[in-house]
Amino acid sequence: MSQPMILCRGLTKTYQKGSTTVTPLEALDLEVPEGQFLALMGPSGSGKTTLLNLLSGIDSPTSGTLEIAGSEIGSLSRGQLTRWRARNIGYIFQLYHLVPILTAFENVELPLLLDSMSKSERREKVESALELVGLSDRMHHRPTELSGGQEQRVAIARALVADPKLLVADEPTGDLDRESATRILELLQALAHEHGKTIVMVTHDPRAADAADRTLHLEKGLLITQP
Amino acid sequence: MTAIVNLLSLAWKQLVRHRLRTGLTVLGVASGMFLFTAVETMQRSLATATQTTAADTTLVVYRENRFCPSTSRLPEHYADEIRTIDGVREVVPIQVVVNNCGASLDVITFRGVPEGALTSYAPEIEVIAGSLEEWNRRSDGALLGEVFAQRRGLSPGDRFVAAGVTVHVAGIIRSPFPQDNNVAYVSLPFLQQASKTGLGIVTQFNVRVDSSDQLESVATAIDQRFHSDQQPTNTRPEKAFFAETAAELIELIGFTRWLGIGAVLAVGGLIANAVLLIVRGRVKENAVLQTLGYPGQAIAWLVMSEGALLGLMGGVLGVALATGFLAWQSFTLGNEGQTLAIQPDGVVVITGLAAALLLGLFASLWPAWRTMRQPIVESLKG
Repeated sequence: MSQPMILCRGLTKTYQKGSTTVTPLEALDLEVPEGQFLALMGPSGSGKTTLLNLLSGIDSPTSGTLEIAGSEIGSLSRGQLTRWRARNIGYIFQLYHLVPILTAFENVELPLLLDSMSKSERREKVESALELVGLSDRMHHRPTELSGGQEQRVAIARALVADPKLLVADEPTGDLDRESATRILELLQALAHEHGKTIVMVTHDPRAADAADRTLHLEKGLLITQP
Repeated sequence: MTAIVNLLSLAWKQLVRHRLRTGLTVLGVASGMFLFTAVETMQRSLATATQTTAADTTLVVYRENRFCPSTSRLPEHYADEIRTIDGVREVVPIQVVVNNCGASLDVITFRGVPEGALTSYAPEIEVIAGSLEEWNRRSDGALLGEVFAQRRGLSPGDRFVAAGVTVHVAGIIRSPFPQDNNVAYVSLPFLQQASKTGLGIVTQFNVRVDSSDQLESVATAIDQRFHSDQQPTNTRPEKAFFAETAAELIELIGFTRWLGIGAVLAVGGLIANAVLLIVRGRVKENAVLQTLGYPGQAIAWLVMSEGALLGLMGGVLGVALATGFLAWQSFTLGNEGQTLAIQPDGVVVITGLAAALLLGLFASLWPAWRTMRQPIVESLKG
């Protein structure tokens, strides 16, 4: 059996809030194979976003092991984690978080600016990513000139442009109308099934979860369902 | 290197696409740098006029215990005796007449030199309009420094009156010494008569010595020669003479240094405040960049680049405006017959630009440090 893309064992995250110790995630075991589109559901405060932050390397676990694509990332230093994140993770936010003064092209170009590649190489990658999300004709528009669905597609192109192994999406359809949401979910499905990306998506929307290959439920930091 | 250039380009886009915010900050920085450049120009002009160098070989012989030119009255025949002293190469008697002996921004200085002595007294001057022949031909002819002529709107053929002396403009001259561009050269006998000083009386002698290491010995010899005379002398190197007679001017300009320091502090504070506001408004954006794999140092570089660019843009504008304004206005500070041309030069421009750039960098250090230490998760929530 091939190595899973994500392998968590006893993954726990705690933090102090005043004198109280909060445990948003407790002893979580999880395996996600490469190329799977996984939906994480659960009520607010159930630990979905905490798990997503740990998987994307923007937060570190308190205990347990977390392996992604064979690398144990729980023990990496802040600098190592940053470098790892740049190569392996594409993050899609609910509110897109595009830089408003930059065009779609420039937003998608952001993850490549620290690489020592030529301008033409960068242009080629950015144009490919925008073509993949169907926005070649809008690349010189600023976020304010795009619809919500288009903004999210730019954000997906930005997450994809460095060719990461894992895409994490925090409620990517949460701020979109139904039609736009459907198009985004179709895009994510295509990325998983046609381009082999592993996707972990947090959602409150059962319709969005239906688009995924597998759905897990979290409650009070514990995994409820893992078929 | 590619990453540094890319981040610099990103910082530039952030600034030019926030036009109003950037414009207002640059305007503030430019105002401070304008003041800084003006002060630096005064300081540097003063330093150039008063610091003696190895190339200086001119002494000024003045009446002892006299300051304003009108009170320094020396017999013209002293020149013949000074010529006999060892080490003296040349002596030129000069009559100086000014319209205002106190500290002033608008001083008109006439220098009367003997016929035929101008080219040996000031060989570096160049006649840029009119002619030397016309000046030699007319007893009331005047050769005006180009800054003086420009300030007064005078050209060859014009007549003008100042300090009770009426002259005919025979030509306009240019000199590498800024002070000479602010005076009017006239014939010595004409000035002695026109100023009612009387023939045979001059204000000072300018003495050229063979080499700069003879300045002190020749000065001592001159003063000793006339020590017991009816008109004792006080002889000093030209720049020391300027420094001494223009002491009030120097004190005034020395005070302006504080204005320069104040301007620098104000610019630093303005940039620091602007950059702090920028990073506060961009907490989430920077967290997103960190999520995309930007290390803290890259974010800090981005912030510092913006600070440096703000400083540099304001610096370029402020320094350019100040140098342009000072060159156009050709200000001359005068006191007791000595004039100080406030002329910006390359050193002032480079100092101003470097100061603005460094201020921008230093002022953004703290905001950059704070930004690179922002925790990603908390910043994304905020």
